[in-house]
This record gives sequence, C-alpha cells and structure tokens, in this order.
Amino acid sequence: MRGFQRQELSRIIEIDRKKCKGCDSCKVFCPTDAIDGKYGTVHRIDSYKCVFCGQCLVNCPFGAPTDVVDPVDQIIEKLNDKKVTVVAAIAPAVRVAIGEEFGMEPGRLLTEKLYGAMKEAGFKVFDINYAADHTIMEEGSELLAKIRHYMLGEPTEHHLGALPQFTSCCPAWVRYVELNYPQIIPNLSSAKSPMMMAGSLAKTYGSTEVWHVKPEDIYVVGVMPCTAKKFECSRPEFDSASQYWEKQGHKALYPDVDSNLTTRDLARLFKKLNINFNTSYDFADGDNPLAQYSGAGTIFGNTGGVMEAALRTAYFLITGNELENLEFTPVRGLKGIKEAALTMKDNKTGKDLTLKVAVVHGIKENAVPLIEQVVAGNSPYHFIEVMNCPGGCVNGGGQPIHAMGTSWVDKWKAMLPWS
Amino acid sequence: MAHYDYVEKAVNVSRREFLQIIGVAGAVMWTGVYVATDLVQDRTKYIKMRAQGIYKDDLKAKVRQSHNNPALNEMYNKFAQKPLSPLAEELFHTRYVDRTKLG
Repeated sequence: MRGFQRQELSRIIEIDRKKCKGCDSCKVFCPTDAIDGKYGTVHRIDSYKCVFCGQCLVNCPFGAPTDVVDPVDQIIEKLNDKKVTVVAAIAPAVRVAIGEEFGMEPGRLLTEKLYGAMKEAGFKVFDINYAADHTIMEEGSELLAKIRHYMLGEPTEHHLGALPQFTSCCPAWVRYVELNYPQIIPNLSSAKSPMMMAGSLAKTYGSTEVWHVKPEDIYVVGVMPCTAKKFECSRPEFDSASQYWEKQGHKALYPDVDSNLTTRDLARLFKKLNINFNTSYDFADGDNPLAQYSGAGTIFGNTGGVMEAALRTAYFLITGNELENLEFTPVRGLKGIKEAALTMKDNKTGKDLTLKVAVVHGIKENAVPLIEQVVAGNSPYHFIEVMNCPGGCVNGGGQPIHAMGTSWVDKWKAMLPWS
Repeated sequence: MAHYDYVEKAVNVSRREFLQIIGVAGAVMWTGVYVATDLVQDRTKYIKMRAQGIYKDDLKAKVRQSHNNPALNEMYNKFAQKPLSPLAEELFHTRYVDRTKLG
C-alpha cells in the first residue's frame, strides 16, 4: 500500500459516518490535512497522509473519529494463559490521566495505584520512565558524539547522522518526516523510542536477568497515551530481540512489542476484569529494577520534557559536573516554539561550547518552520525536540476524552464560523 | 387614497422599564461571553493539570538525572556495556524509511 511497509497497520482511526456532522472541527486539529470532505458532508480520513496522532479523536465535539484497533480481549486472553508473562510497558503520561476514566480529577499522580491495579490484572511492570532514562543515555550519547565530531573536530568510530538532531520518540512525528521530508531522515536520532527500547530490552535482558522466562513467552504490551504507538508497534523492523536470539541459535519469530493499549483501552480492560481502580491498593514494586526511574524519565510526557532530561545528562557528560539548577524552565510551558541555549566548558578539551536547542509541539504550526530551516541549511540549533500533540504526550490521542476537547492551545479561532 | 391606521406605540415602555429590560438583556449577554471564555480556558486546563502531575513526579524523585539511575547503570554493566556499544546499536537503535518511495 502506498506509504506503508508490509504488515503495518494502515487504518487505526476512522470517522463514524453516523456521528460525523461535517463541522470541520477535526480539520483544525489535524496536523497533516488528512481529513477529506466538504463542510456539512461526512468526512473521511486519508490514511496515506494520516500520522495516527488521534488529535481529531480527542477534540471532535460529536465523538465521530474512533480508534478501531481494539486489542483488549486478546490481551485478557494472554493474561489468562499461565505460560505467558505479560509485561506492561507504562508510559509517563498514563499515570496522570488514567484517574480521569474513574472520576478522579485530571493530573492526579497515580503511579503506585496503577502498579497495584496492573498487578491485580496479572501484568508485570516495565516502567517506560526507566526506558526513557535509557533513551536519554543512547540519544544523548549520540548527540554528544555528533557534537564532538562536527563541532570539536574529533574523529569518531560511529556512523553518525547530521546536526541538528531531531528527537525520535514521537511515532507520529517520525511518520510525518518519512512521508513529507525524507531528506531530513539523517537528522532524526537513530535511537528507538522508549517503548521500542523497552520491548527489545524486555525480551533480552528482562528475559534472562529479571523474569527468568524464555523470550518467546514474554508478551510486551505498550500502555500509551497515544494512538500512533499502535502504528509504531506494527512496523516490521522492530524485531531486534528476535534477531539477537537468532544469532545465538534460538529460532522464534516475534516482534519487540506485541500489542498496544491506549489509556482509554487500559481503563476498559480494568472494567472488563472487574478491577475497581478507585479502591485498588498501592504497590511500589520496589524490587523490580525495570520500575526504577529518575525524575528525568518521568517528564518525557510533557512538551520540553525530553529536552530537559537530555540537557541534565548532556551537561554532565560534557562538563563532568551536575547541572546546578535542574528545573530548566525555558523549555517548559505551552509556547509553540521554545528556544534555549546552554553554555558549558568541555571537560576533555577545555573549550567553551554553546548548545542551542529548540522545543516544538504541534507539527503544522510550529515544526514546519524549523524543518524548513534545516532543509535550507541555516538552522541555528543543535538539538530539536518535536512532539506532535499540543502539550506533549499528556494530551495524546489515546488519553481520556473530554466532550469539549483538550487541545485548544492557540486554536480559539476554530470557534469562529468563517475559519 | 389609501387609509393608514398608524398607532404611535404598540407597547408602552416607561423610561424606568426600559432601563430594567436593557439591564437584564445586558446581564444575559455578559454571562454568555463569560461562559464562552471560560470554556476556551477549560480546554487547555487538562494539559496544564496533567503536566503539573508529571512535574510533581520529577520533584519527588530521589534521583533526577537519567545517568544516575542505578538500575539503568546496572543494566549497562551487566548487559549492554555502554551507550552506543555494538550491542546497544543493535538493540536500541533503528533506521527509518523514505515513505515517498513505498508502494
């Protein structure tokens, strides 16, 4: 199919013909103009252009776009299978939103409660916050290698892409680049997204060191605030664990991440299993090494969070000292394009270097100007974080839906009838 | 010649009554505007509240930098050696596809 690799999911979000009123609201939120249909007629989604971010879904006043990939029953089946170790890879933004599905106020931090409910359902926990720390180490080291090579002129043993480096955690953003700006693919960090790192780590290190089960008996479920993650986990190239074991003589074919639940799907799964989230007990999971995370890992769910986490580690790797003030406020908040510069002294060469970074959320309005700079070759930055959804993953397309929509950052004009 | 039957005032509104009506109408209008602006504010409040929840998690964390996560460092020691090692490249890095050339 045009724009898709073999076995990739091509339809994840579809507009319900009976519910669509043709009001055009979704078109305001769609980052890729993937929605066809004249004002007043039933709209439909062009799957070639669609990046599966689900912004239409969380903002439609009539609830017409729906997530048609429903793995809940399949996962319950796996949970009941005693032979299978079902691992839930829980993203940072899920713990502050899952409560909304059970009548709690938005933004309530529910990590332990979520671990408890997960245990009750029969999942093992692999916290994506841990994988986010892992991503920072890989992606940060990659950025550092590029800086040392391109800015300080040192030789390198790695195969490096180009500067500025773009983050690659957001699957909608990655698909957007692959579809619309293939010429900047070398600028995307080669590091996998935290979910995919978790998948390959669970089926290698997790299998031998943590759960002591065969990798083919591990079933990894990403629990994400995101509909695009469903697309990401169907990408055929994510089978590194299977290939790793094949080199060691084990023959079995399986993907790194087997299935994917959104925050909404998880709430449905709890309800189907009769788990009352409001009364479930707290569970810290202190003995599980894959549930240990740093503060830097958890802020991945916010716009600017990946950048802030990366700066904390990059500063240490370059200067050898810890950053004094950890809250790096210039990258926080809901401004469309946030810029910052951090000057530091390189430990190795004694030279001063200034790291220029930018953070954007919302592809259509904010990322495109920065991409154009990179294409034209005059981008002033070294590292650029892009998240597709306004506000970052906390406002992802898989999060609880509120009838009035959640992402009206700078979009109040959508209320005017002539826009 | 046509006959016009013209009544000066269909409804008799005194000055005092007129002010009362305008007052009520104004109040209704302003409530509408007030509610509408509140709604627009409400639409971003979810992002802000959830973001606050996440920053709270960062503040209460004992370790706040990725390179100081002890469990992660243990994994590198036992398994992947160091970031960008050949094994790390194999398991934790990926490649991308030019989708304009697909199918």
